[in-house]
Amino acid sequence: MSVVIVLQQGLSVLLVLAGVVFLAGGTLGLVRLPDLYTRAHAASKCDSVGAGSILLGLLFYGGVAFEDLRLVLLVFLVLVSGPTTAHALARAGFRTGLPVGRARERDDR
Amino acid sequence: MRWLGLALVVVAAATLMLGVADLPPHGAPDAPVHTHVGARYLERGVAETGMRNLVTAVLLVYRGFDTFLEVVVIFSALVAVVALPRGRAARPDDGDDRPPAASLTAEGPAQQLVSVSPVVAFVVQLLGPFIAVFALASLYRGHVSPGGGFQSAAIFGALFIAIALVQGRERAALLVPRGARVWLQALGPLSFALIGTVGWILTGAFLGYPADAAAYALREAMVVAVEVGIAVGGAVILAQLFMAMEG
Repeated sequence: MSVVIVLQQGLSVLLVLAGVVFLAGGTLGLVRLPDLYTRAHAASKCDSVGAGSILLGLLFYGGVAFEDLRLVLLVFLVLVSGPTTAHALARAGFRTGLPVGRARERDDR
Repeated sequence: MRWLGLALVVVAAATLMLGVADLPPHGAPDAPVHTHVGARYLERGVAETGMRNLVTAVLLVYRGFDTFLEVVVIFSALVAVVALPRGRAARPDDGDDRPPAASLTAEGPAQQLVSVSPVVAFVVQLLGPFIAVFALASLYRGHVSPGGGFQSAAIFGALFIAIALVQGRERAALLVPRGARVWLQALGPLSFALIGTVGWILTGAFLGYPADAAAYALREAMVVAVEVGIAVGGAVILAQLFMAMEG
């Protein structure tokens, strides 16, 4: 196994692991945080950083080929759509007067 | 109550894990799922149906009736929603836990809750064409690669809803011509029945497809016609379902 392949796959594994950490953290935040705003914030980490770096990791795994352009497109799509969704959710919540930090009490009813 | 919930979760998880532990090894050729009709599909599917893709062969030929009725089920869902009497739109003062600011929207159900965010409008404008191309590609290549009419319908329907959210319902409704709407929303069952009848005339069996190599172009045309019907019909049904929702 040549040095290049070791570096390549090492980078790939690191990126995927980073993505897993962000996905786990985002999911935990979605379950545990108190209101829509903080939850949207946590969940958008899953999309942009979590899925994004997993996709980047997959891009490097087998060496970059032309076919992998699709993964780049996917990263772009995820980076554009994820934050937009979080923005739209938080904005809609704010404009309709959703209170900050009160969702948990209602959940437990 | 908490402990009861926890106990339920533990029992359910243990049951599931026991079940998973009892599954045959992944990909084992003697697993029950591979020894029934699956083996026959793999062995003779291409020869019997002439399809280039086994998923298409199963979906449209071996289980043609199942797929046909699935399309009918989706159409029936729209019929059920449209047949429901239109209820009074929920007014903010009906609910007790709504924040007071929501009463700004009490003017009527047609009033938009929140003005359209310029960010969302821009992103929908940016991604819209790509989404449309992806839906078309998924439709056109669907019978030989992953994708197909149902997926294409879901993508088109989602695109319609995104456009309706940004541009407003009235402008989005222009995408589905009013005169053709009645026919378009029934296009799935209609095209399926039509192609099924064509197959009946050609092969003697309803939903049959000519399997010999000489009929290649005809078979492809029939499959694409069915897929287009599913995609356009399904997309219009999704759009109509969205439009039927008030507020």
